[in-house]
Amino acid sequence: MKNKVHQWDVYTLGDHAIVFALEPIINVNILQKIKQLNAFIYTKKIDGILDVIPSYHTLTIVYDILKFVSAAEDATHQLLLLSNSIINEFESIELKQDLSISNTYQVPVCYDAAFALDIQNISEQKNISIQEIIDIHCGKIYDVYSIGFLPGFTYMGIVDEKIKIDRHHKPRNVVPAGSIGIAGLQTGIYPSDSPGGWQIIGKTPFKIFDPNPNKLSKFKVGDQVQFYPISKTEFDQINEYT
Amino acid sequence: MSIKILHKGLADTLQDDGRYGFQHLGIQPNGCMDKLSATLANYILQNDLNAPVIELHFPSSKIQFLEDHIICISGGNFVPVINEKSVALNKPIYVQKNDVLSMLQPINGRTAYIAFKSTINEPLWLHSIAYNGKKLEKDQEITISNKITDLKSTMDGLLNPLQDQTNEQVNENIFNNNAPIRILPGPAWQDLNNHSITCILNDSYSVTTQANRMGFHLSGPSLSLNNPNSYLSSAVTRGTLQLLPSGDLIVLMADHQTIGGYANLGQIILVDLPRFAQMKTNQAFKFCLTNLTTAQTLYKEMYASFKY
Repeated sequence: MKNKVHQWDVYTLGDHAIVFALEPIINVNILQKIKQLNAFIYTKKIDGILDVIPSYHTLTIVYDILKFVSAAEDATHQLLLLSNSIINEFESIELKQDLSISNTYQVPVCYDAAFALDIQNISEQKNISIQEIIDIHCGKIYDVYSIGFLPGFTYMGIVDEKIKIDRHHKPRNVVPAGSIGIAGLQTGIYPSDSPGGWQIIGKTPFKIFDPNPNKLSKFKVGDQVQFYPISKTEFDQINEYT
Repeated sequence: MSIKILHKGLADTLQDDGRYGFQHLGIQPNGCMDKLSATLANYILQNDLNAPVIELHFPSSKIQFLEDHIICISGGNFVPVINEKSVALNKPIYVQKNDVLSMLQPINGRTAYIAFKSTINEPLWLHSIAYNGKKLEKDQEITISNKITDLKSTMDGLLNPLQDQTNEQVNENIFNNNAPIRILPGPAWQDLNNHSITCILNDSYSVTTQANRMGFHLSGPSLSLNNPNSYLSSAVTRGTLQLLPSGDLIVLMADHQTIGGYANLGQIILVDLPRFAQMKTNQAFKFCLTNLTTAQTLYKEMYASFKY
């Protein structure tokens, strides 16, 4: 099923998911709309929804076939009606109220050479000093566009063009938990030790994912993050991994 | 009240229906690879259909029962033996204290399931017993809450001929079915070039040795896109068919990442996913397209057959 309502492309993903998509670009206004639609869908309390997953320009609903649009003779038609009604209602109320709650976090980063595995290379490749890289990286408030790859892996943007750098051609076998990386115009945080290809410029002492059910991911899509530099000594004092 | 792992298997885990509701935080759903076979084992034991099970891969764990139990083994035929005496699949089995269950040989399928008439009682993480990659270890004891007072009469009560029909249907569907694996086209399907569409709908593919609970890497004709495109990461599901930049296909399985940035060509429909999950390495199969209404109707029919 494919449908166009207002500026939204709505299409089914397999037999148990439906996607609401805007223009495929990394853009904060698009992120805001995705975030708003996400919050709106929660308020609708639609039966049979298993997951609502925002990511960049899309919002995906994963559902239980036995409960969602149940008793539907023609699933395609039912999903068309449902998506029309969701978007029409959303677009009509959208400007009146802000449904979502977002937080802004100050996140300490140690850019010490011990953690910043690639910062020297970036400095040479981009012909800017390490201090400039740190100033530029800390000089912006980033938006969280997506969480995935690993539980709690946080995709943020958009970094300044001056520190834009491609992923490593060959990923590292292990990137330590807490590492801060750059991939293209995005910056991200590794929540756990894992293989990875992002260019690593530092490490946060914050634990950004904790399997404790009351904690889980520190950030959610739509939150904002600003980094600030700390020394190795300060890192050791804060270190939540010990 | 437990069972003990005497030898560690390749990748054996505790599983159930998996966990939903946390994918927006990047937390994978997990759950049984072949949900249909696991459901069947619970159905035969007249359990809650989503009750926890042990998922076995081959080589499998060797398991000792530390008291009497009623179990059912379903899924792939790994030639199960108890104290070296062969036992039937998809039937209630009375096992006695100190009996040892082992699997001798993978005749068909990739995963087998053990369900218990009493409850596997291990800690849940976010509503599910499944925990990403946490394998059963040697000497590990798994707690089974044995609430059944009279196992012998319970056993008699489980011999219900109505279940034989469902049993046969499920196993015919998964293990005796060479029909193409049905997919619904995904957002990047329209970006495939014509030659690639001809290939994927007419040629044979097979599962390579690079296959685990996260995904199956396929072997078959290489595919390409009209305009090699980059995609912003968006949600994927179990059964998502991703096209890698190399032209190879990967199908995402139960432990899949929540989002993906590769071209999403389509998703295998849920009704065909158990059969796909049980494909042996190098077994040839084909894909074909279907439609949403068919996929959902078949799914509802399949679950309607599990009626007590």
